[in-house]
Amino acid sequence: MANKEKGYLALVLHAHLPFIRHPEYEDFLEEDWFFEAMCETYIPLLDVYERLTAEGTDFRVTMSITPPLCNMMADDLLRERFRRYYSLRLELAEKEVVRNRNTKFYDVAKMYETKFRRIRELYEDYYHGRILEGFKKFQDMGKLEIITCGATHGFLPLELRKEAVHAQIKLAADDYRRHFGRGPRGIWLAECAYNPGDDVFLKAQGIRYFFLETHGIIYGSPRPRYGVYAPVYCPSGVAAFGRDMESAQQVWSAETGYPGDNRYREFYRDLGYDLEYDYVKPYLHQDGVRRNIGMKYCKITGKVQLNEKAPYNPAEAREMAASHAGNFMFNRERQIEHLNGFLGRKPVVVSMYDAELYGHWWYEGVDFLEFLFKKIHHDQKAIKMVTPSEYLGIHPDNQVVQPCMSTWGDKGYNEVWLNGTNDWMYRHLHKQVERMVELANKFPAADGTLLRALNQCAREVVLGMSSDWAFLMTVGTAKSYSTKRFVAHTHRFNGLYEQIMGNRLEENFLKDIEWRDNIFPELNYRVFSTEEMEKASRS
Amino acid sequence: MTSSGQIKKNNTGPEAEHKALPEGYGATEAALLPRDPNWMFIYWEITENSKKNICRLHGEDVFQKSRQVIRVYDVSAADTAGRYFDVPVMLEARSWYINVQEGGRAYCCEVGLVMPDGSFVGLVKTNTVSLPAGRVSDVTDEKWMAVSADFEKLLQLSGVEHIGKGSGEVAKSLAQRWEMLRAVFSRASSWGVSSMSSQALQKPEQQQQKKNFWLVADCELILYGATEPDAFVTVSGRKVNLNPDGTFSMRFALPDGVVDLPIKALSKDETETREIAIKVTRATTTDGK
Repeated sequence: MANKEKGYLALVLHAHLPFIRHPEYEDFLEEDWFFEAMCETYIPLLDVYERLTAEGTDFRVTMSITPPLCNMMADDLLRERFRRYYSLRLELAEKEVVRNRNTKFYDVAKMYETKFRRIRELYEDYYHGRILEGFKKFQDMGKLEIITCGATHGFLPLELRKEAVHAQIKLAADDYRRHFGRGPRGIWLAECAYNPGDDVFLKAQGIRYFFLETHGIIYGSPRPRYGVYAPVYCPSGVAAFGRDMESAQQVWSAETGYPGDNRYREFYRDLGYDLEYDYVKPYLHQDGVRRNIGMKYCKITGKVQLNEKAPYNPAEAREMAASHAGNFMFNRERQIEHLNGFLGRKPVVVSMYDAELYGHWWYEGVDFLEFLFKKIHHDQKAIKMVTPSEYLGIHPDNQVVQPCMSTWGDKGYNEVWLNGTNDWMYRHLHKQVERMVELANKFPAADGTLLRALNQCAREVVLGMSSDWAFLMTVGTAKSYSTKRFVAHTHRFNGLYEQIMGNRLEENFLKDIEWRDNIFPELNYRVFSTEEMEKASRS
Repeated sequence: MTSSGQIKKNNTGPEAEHKALPEGYGATEAALLPRDPNWMFIYWEITENSKKNICRLHGEDVFQKSRQVIRVYDVSAADTAGRYFDVPVMLEARSWYINVQEGGRAYCCEVGLVMPDGSFVGLVKTNTVSLPAGRVSDVTDEKWMAVSADFEKLLQLSGVEHIGKGSGEVAKSLAQRWEMLRAVFSRASSWGVSSMSSQALQKPEQQQQKKNFWLVADCELILYGATEPDAFVTVSGRKVNLNPDGTFSMRFALPDGVVDLPIKALSKDETETREIAIKVTRATTTDGK
């Protein structure tokens, strides 16, 4: 009874945060983004994979873990600070269980205690503080396919120099090898931003596929015969998978999406504000300012004032997540059966989401995924879950199409990263890249302090290229922080550049920057040379 | 991070701090970037030296008597090689957004001067940019023809009508939450106030650029009282720890709306109770300036 399935589902989660690490401060606010995502998304996902494997449920999922995220997960300082973070949360959760005994908040208080204990158990006892080992384990089992991303989530269509594109891809592939012991088979182009022709640099690193927003494929030339329901090959032979909008909408739609259900957890009522000040103060940052601490006791309830929100009921919310997972699966079955009849071929439906949607933004999202994996494994036969590599193994023949320039941002092109709030960045960024290429070409084989300085120059350039800065300026979130970061990396690069060109390197200046921006410990600046780029583009 | 941000009408300018970077790099150069099928962005720098050279060649008053323009060339194919149009501009603008009627074509630009006699003096040229077509391709292959009648349906199944919107929806829900985070984060550095409210305590960036005058305000609620030191006191059903002298105080966030604060004290021997209920209403209005 093999081959009964009518089509394939590829679930793709994009996990990314910008590289935020501030050793110069004892306590730094924006580092919380990473700690929150660890507690709410990354570790809970591993927990799901652990449980499914233990109970013999087969599953397939594709996950990008971007190089900045890998570097943060592997960083000693951030690992130490993460321990401090979850230990404090656990301490508070334990106190809260006592305080809330015999109240209507007892169940939710208990939930947090269990959650943070499990986080500690997984992080310490299972992975010994090396969470990447956990992900690698499931990749080695063939259940999870980890893909990479541009070195710092660089936005490639706005780069003028191909050396920069090559450097983003090459650094990412090298860093991937360092963490996972083999080369990456797939890549998530930051923001799904594709510039026709850049795929040759993917091919040079042995990368076989990437992902595009729907119109990247639909507007490709010639017309794609199967729409987004089969991958296409770029002229270079690298495959592009297109996003299925129907499954995206089902989760995301502001009106009808799952996360808005009244029984789910309310994001805006947080203990950081709700608790008595002196009691919660030890769990706030050192400045003592009230902020979200990630523990929330209310459900969405309905269209009521924040102070009228009802207590959260974990069991009820979990049931809802199971029901939504059932609904999602039902819709995929119908979709795939329909497409199968219409196309005369087994379609592949590619459902792509930010990983942080699950758990961080939509608290029950991780439960939803767990139920979805289980239901697909046990309750139906129409859908087979695949990774893109598996799919290409089954269907190596695909149409050759040149996809068009596109992104998954608002309006579908580059405007989110190029508008009045951030267009001033590009003249500086392009100048840095130009100077970096100049340095890499000028010094074919540096050593000693000069080598260190050149490597650090390359780190500063790639850190400045991160699409996150432009993005944060556009949405107005952390606009000041992102501006500061971009300005700081530009200054550091320009300072080093002038010292190198003036042959007056200052050891202390270099040392200080190396200590701050320690991403990619094994990087070599020659990755920016024109020679390496040309070699890659010919491969 | 998030998949997509929504472009907002009220957030259009850069953060002031970008001025910490150099204005230019002392080189005459220009670059052209693609934004979408109909828009490109150009930036340029023209040094004083370059301007002097132009004056030397074309006369001291060349910048006064000529029109400053961006000349946009369509370089898609050999047959359009001579096709261009001019966008009037001030050289001091240093950057500009250029609208083109036709997507899917290749363009390059030259910043320069149109002389009174109609001749063109170029100052600096950009790279070439190929814009996306922004529509379904006209090119169909042989195999395609057999099923082309179904293409419209396939397009719908593929969600083509959602293009750009799917991400917009995403952005909407995310933006609301980011909005919250921003309210929270932005207070980190500059404000000692510790409460949340429906208004974000933040300097309105736009307004601040136009007028230097601005105002933000928020308020919190402090509840205090006293009873016998050994009494058992609850506020809204939560136990309150009393100070040794029997006093107590609590500090709350005060969002807009109504907050009910029932306060109950129970004597140690559990024979006597006292209750006070406080109802606080907050309504915030601003003059919208």
